[in-house]
Amino acid sequence: MSRVVRVFLAYLRAKIGVMLQYRGEILLWSIWGIINPAVLYAMWSAAASGNENQSIAGLDRGGFAAYYFVMMIVGHLTGAWDVYHLGYLIRSGQLSPMLLRPVLPIWETLADNLSYKITTLMFVVPMWALFAWLVTPRFETSLWQVGMGFIAVLLGAGLNYMLCHTAALLAFWATKLDAMGEIYFGLCMFLGGRFAPMNALPGPILAIAEYLPFRWMFAFPTELLIGKIASMNEALIGVVIQSVWLVGVVILYRLMWSVAVKRYTAVSG
Amino acid sequence: MVRALRLMTLFVQVSVQNFTAYRFDFFVRGLMSLIHVGAELVAVWTIFNNTQSLKGWQWQHMLVLVGVYRIIAGGIRISIVPNMRKLLDEIREGTFDFVLLRPVNAQFLVSIREFVIWRLTDVFLGSAAAAYGCYSLLGHVPVKQTFVFIMMLAAGFAIVYSVWLMLATLCFWFIRIQNIEMVFWNVFEAGRYPIVIYNPWVRWVLTFILPLAFITTFPAGSLLGDPATGVPPSAPYYALLIATVLLLLSGWFWRFGLKRYAGASA
Repeated sequence: MSRVVRVFLAYLRAKIGVMLQYRGEILLWSIWGIINPAVLYAMWSAAASGNENQSIAGLDRGGFAAYYFVMMIVGHLTGAWDVYHLGYLIRSGQLSPMLLRPVLPIWETLADNLSYKITTLMFVVPMWALFAWLVTPRFETSLWQVGMGFIAVLLGAGLNYMLCHTAALLAFWATKLDAMGEIYFGLCMFLGGRFAPMNALPGPILAIAEYLPFRWMFAFPTELLIGKIASMNEALIGVVIQSVWLVGVVILYRLMWSVAVKRYTAVSG
Repeated sequence: MVRALRLMTLFVQVSVQNFTAYRFDFFVRGLMSLIHVGAELVAVWTIFNNTQSLKGWQWQHMLVLVGVYRIIAGGIRISIVPNMRKLLDEIREGTFDFVLLRPVNAQFLVSIREFVIWRLTDVFLGSAAAAYGCYSLLGHVPVKQTFVFIMMLAAGFAIVYSVWLMLATLCFWFIRIQNIEMVFWNVFEAGRYPIVIYNPWVRWVLTFILPLAFITTFPAGSLLGDPATGVPPSAPYYALLIATVLLLLSGWFWRFGLKRYAGASA
């Protein structure tokens, strides 16, 4: 175990070094995570202003400001893109050298993920602050919700990372990676609460979202952090559901990995 | 002029041949286009599940806007993006020399070399969405406004082309700017919704500095001719004016940048 941790930390140091070489590039990547929620904030607060009670799904203008401000941060912290990145490594044969190493490739891609999130903080934190200053979010959060929200973000990040990585393993069989990636991100968008808060979703869509893990990656931590989940009980149940999903996806990953890696035939390294 | 047209036809022919060589891909990509439009319809459904109007825009108006966004984004991916990508690669690698050696206007040549034919599905699906939105609001698709609409789409496309040409020209100074495409799509994202949702100063920027309003909101509004959308009736004239100015400006900037090109290793 301690060897894996040592290897992982070494990976992380190396990857942060690499990321810092590509400052301009990662800045551009992180901009999408700002613009998308900002546009959606503008759209939903405009839509709410057209209603008689000035609100949608229990959120008024200040509420939507808080929702999308927090979603901006949660989206950054729980983000994962292995379905593109790992998929590409598999199809291009660049996975081969990774397989020769004495730890699973997932540790290296996880280090990639974390190093991106850490190094982009220097760009995104000022942009978050600017957004908050411009839109004046209104929070109803108490201290325990912040604490539980912190746990929920960590679990959400783990869940999204593992599911995204597991979905990428389909690249051992399928060839249309871009399509897969887009569907994954589309599901995060609509069923995860990134496009609209869960309560604003039309009935049939909400019914689908209930049975899938996406809402537990984004919507749940966000709702908790803006104070929309009022009872400790509800918060605890949410965290338990997140954990169950996480364990389930880790098991699925181990099963799929052991089958998938036997299928791997690279042409070149 | 005749020669220019012949050249263009030739490049389109090659693109069509390329496209027909990968028929299976076409089905997968066509399916993806359908899923994209489907997702945008779900978005409209979600919005109007919660409200009657988005600052005067009803679901029919929004359908037209979804259609316009698809048509323009499709048009960009059919011709602008592939040509500009190729141009940026060539400037970086120095093979741009071979473009300059040809006895044709360089700006014209770099703009027509590649066409991604299958993206036409986006244009068709977008047109269908726009036509349906228009039909369900007005009961018919008005002929005169359709002409204005097509003209405004052309103006919007010309504006996008000019912006892209200027961005690509920057490559003569800064060699590695491949990521400029991402910046473009990031900003373009704001055009998914009518500009009336933004606060006044963002709206001003999106009209006069980054003229996104002329690319999506105004064409959609002019097809419907509905004052509720907040699109001024004079929008088509301004669209033509801005498109002309930007085309001239970008052409001048291109020639100015070209003087800096020194070739790479080639």
